[in-house]
Amino acid sequence: MRQFKAILRKDIVMELRTKEMVTSMGIYAMLTLVIYQVALSQSGAAFDPRRIAAGLLWLAFVFTSMLGLNRSFVHEKDQGCLEALLLSPVDRPVIFLAKAIGNLLFLVIVEIIMIPFFSFLFLQQGSYQGEFWMIPLSLLGGSIGIAGVGTMLATMSVNTKGKDFVLAVLFIPLMYPLLLACVSATTAGVLGGDGHIQQFWTGMAAIGAYDAIMIAAAWALYEFILGA
Amino acid sequence: MPEVCDTALEVRDLTRTFGVRRALDRVSFDLPRGAFLSIFGPNGAGKTTMVKVLTTLTSPSSGSAKVCGLDVVQDAVELRERIGLISHNPLLYPDLSAEENLLFFAEMYGVDDSTDRVRELLVSVELDHRRLDLVRTFSRGMLQRLSIARALLHRPDVLFLDEPYSGLDPHAMDIFDSLIAQIREDHTFVMISHDLDKGLELCSHALILARGRVVLAAERAAVDSEQFKHTYRATVGLGVA
Ligand SMILES: Nc1ncnc2c1ncn2[C@@H]1O[C@H](COP(=O)(O)OP(=O)(O)O)[C@@H](O)[C@H]1O
Ligand SMILES: [Mg+2]
Repeated sequence: MRQFKAILRKDIVMELRTKEMVTSMGIYAMLTLVIYQVALSQSGAAFDPRRIAAGLLWLAFVFTSMLGLNRSFVHEKDQGCLEALLLSPVDRPVIFLAKAIGNLLFLVIVEIIMIPFFSFLFLQQGSYQGEFWMIPLSLLGGSIGIAGVGTMLATMSVNTKGKDFVLAVLFIPLMYPLLLACVSATTAGVLGGDGHIQQFWTGMAAIGAYDAIMIAAAWALYEFILGA
Repeated sequence: MPEVCDTALEVRDLTRTFGVRRALDRVSFDLPRGAFLSIFGPNGAGKTTMVKVLTTLTSPSSGSAKVCGLDVVQDAVELRERIGLISHNPLLYPDLSAEENLLFFAEMYGVDDSTDRVRELLVSVELDHRRLDLVRTFSRGMLQRLSIARALLHRPDVLFLDEPYSGLDPHAMDIFDSLIAQIREDHTFVMISHDLDKGLELCSHALILARGRVVLAAERAAVDSEQFKHTYRATVGLGVA
């Protein structure tokens, strides 16, 4: 617990100092959303962008988090700091948990920036009939899985040459089930309508199951991943 | 107080392979407590790999190694509390200050009197006046001194040094030497060095590795310097495993 807090605190202090992850992710996310909005600007009155808005939000968020998570181990790697961390008498899963929680925190900050912007761009036209609270909640659920899997893959990529590549290639296949559930749950919040409550909670249950399985797997495998 | 152990290192048939390459090939030797071992060998001889295995950063493929009587695989967590590593990489966070770095590692090691201990070490490596500066602004020599402080935080028994002189100017080397001299008494040392004269001068035991194998392992008193240098030069031609 002492070591967990120390790692988490160090990551937060360093992020506050450099603002590397949050700024790069925040800007990237906003730009992506603007581009989607432009891309859809010619779609005509018959087409309701809201039908695909949740998918677009997740698209933007997944790419954004890939960008950010790749950076989260760069400073550990830079001066061999990961070795220093591994030299200390800490159980490896504690490192995973601290890094993953730190990453989750940064992802949540990015979401807080993204959500108002997203609703401004996509939820303004006509009357909004969905349930707004479902959007942040499904994003939070999804980010837990993203932070867990992303942290695991970012660790792997530290020891691999051409490191960005590992995260990029493995991230999307591993994320696929989670993304399906996330898009479904967020769409329920965006569109509302018949059975949306049911759709939302089904999605959330799948998200919860995915998060639990992935975190358990990462926890169990982390010693091996670091030692590779 | 951890139990005192007479043998600092006990290495038996230690082998580490990377694919088909044997970075370490059935290495065996012992080192008594309080000794100073200098490891020599050409580039790619397996020196760093050996230190990584002994410091639990890499696992052995076969064979065994004990540090202070603790097995590098089975007793890894306990072992880590007893060792420190100074490498040519500083192993410090550039975006934290000197003091923040040391306080962070003190937390990781569970050092009791962390604030006092950090202050005491900063003074002894002559960095107290720069303690609030970010490590990224430090010179190579300052980084190396701060690494010493980091490695000593938890009062380890065995110190590993992997080419600690690389990148240091003569003045920084002198400071480094005097710091090592101050702590020589209370620690066992394992140092990788390319400087034969310096390595031989400091050591009580010498080891030459080439292509992952032990070419020579002897007490310093039992080897003749000229003969030793001759043996060393002969290994350089052997190249990489
Ligand atoms: N992580 C690794 N993956 C593959 N080969 C490695 C790795 N680390 C070291 N080696 C190989 O093991 C041999 C010994 O390397 P090393 O221990 O670094 O030598 P030294 O420190 O004596 O110069 C070299 O041939 C090197 O290429
Ligand atoms: Mg080396």
